[in-house]
Amino acid sequence: MKTGLKKFFTSFAIFVVPIISILFLEILVYTPRINDFLNFLRFAPFYIGIYYWLSLRPDIFNIFSAFTLGIFADVLSSNTLGINILSFLILYIISNRIFSYFNIKKFTYSWLLFTLALLITLVFKSILVSLFYRKLIPFNYLFIEYILTSSLYPIIVRFYLHIEKRFIHLEERYEN
Amino acid sequence: MKRQKVLFLKQNYILRILKNFMFAGLFAIALLLILVHKIDLGIISGLSKSILYITAPLIHVSTLPAVGISSLYKKTSEFLNVYEENERLKKENEQLYLLKNQIRALKSENKNLKDLLHHFDTPNTKSYTAYIIAENGNAFSNSLIIYIGKNQDKIKQGYAVVNSKGLIGRIELVSGNYAKVSLITDINSKIPVVSAKSRDRGILLGQNKKELSLIFTPLLAELHDGDMLVTSGVGGGLPPDIPVAKINKVTLDKITASPLFNPSKIEIVKIIAYDVNPDKKTLKELE
Repeated sequence: MKTGLKKFFTSFAIFVVPIISILFLEILVYTPRINDFLNFLRFAPFYIGIYYWLSLRPDIFNIFSAFTLGIFADVLSSNTLGINILSFLILYIISNRIFSYFNIKKFTYSWLLFTLALLITLVFKSILVSLFYRKLIPFNYLFIEYILTSSLYPIIVRFYLHIEKRFIHLEERYEN
Repeated sequence: MKRQKVLFLKQNYILRILKNFMFAGLFAIALLLILVHKIDLGIISGLSKSILYITAPLIHVSTLPAVGISSLYKKTSEFLNVYEENERLKKENEQLYLLKNQIRALKSENKNLKDLLHHFDTPNTKSYTAYIIAENGNAFSNSLIIYIGKNQDKIKQGYAVVNSKGLIGRIELVSGNYAKVSLITDINSKIPVVSAKSRDRGILLGQNKKELSLIFTPLLAELHDGDMLVTSGVGGGLPPDIPVAKINKVTLDKITASPLFNPSKIEIVKIIAYDVNPDKKTLKELE
């Protein structure tokens, strides 16, 4: 009974690691900026996180994880609840299709496909927000967000890889 | 080697049953949430409060090092400019002394005129200080998370948030020792304003960028570049005459304005508690 509970909690911990790691980076993005230039540079680690964890560990990062992250993203930003959830679900589906059609082995291909998936997701989200508020959202800010998120992909992936390595150790310990 | 599924997922049999309908179901839930949010039911507010209650302290702790670095940078740059700053302040002080005397005279004149006209003053207001712990400004939203300390019972949704220059936003959500502020630059923001000079009314809309848009102005409004826009107090949501923005450009089809604050330079804000029809408890607090 005790071992069963232990196994359950360990596997639960494994399940929440991707969500926590994505939330951690997102929280850092909320840091107040020193000057106008830094204030202009915004990126969205949520998208990298969803794409990365889905490509690496689809067994522990599922559509519910994307949904949960969407709720957090909506509450933290001042968006209407549901808008980020929808965009994360779209990214999840696009990424899922990408991974089922392509057998990505090279990092550069993965990066390239991420930029494509991100573009589709951001365009979808902008259309959704623009329709909801009946106002066009500023495309220059969107463009900066897209470029910066795409460029930071390798660095953030490195961070997630580090977490994944530590996390695999945890899983092996549990399996032994 | 194929990876084994972890135990947590294995135990959730419902997940397996719902697998085929998962995406469609979650998509429908998300759409439903958007609709429910639009209707503004209490459930959404409760959920948002709970999430903010959990995440705000985490954000507060994780942004502390960055806030420390930012403060060090600001203090160093202030120290380097201390001589010029001192000279500027001396000049400003002289001007302020002159203005102070003028204001004193105007104040007494204003009081006399108000007495003559039996003018009612605006309802009592009280203010609370808070400091910013997190900031979110991107193409989709513009908001702040502020630390309000033990004042959570006194601060309500919709209260005005100002800095030394004017209005910066409104309280969107209060949870625990933290509150979320929706900035006037947010796409969701609509502030009823009036021109300080011509008293022409309008609605100032946020656009998720530095520029604001002024709509619903009268056809023959006398609005010019550089005119100050202040809150009109219409609707009773905000106290009147708080500076909000300065008109940038007036064209035939569009009027744009600039907010008076710079998001990267706000550290401390003031929350103005203002109720046109306060309940007994709020009235007691305001008094």
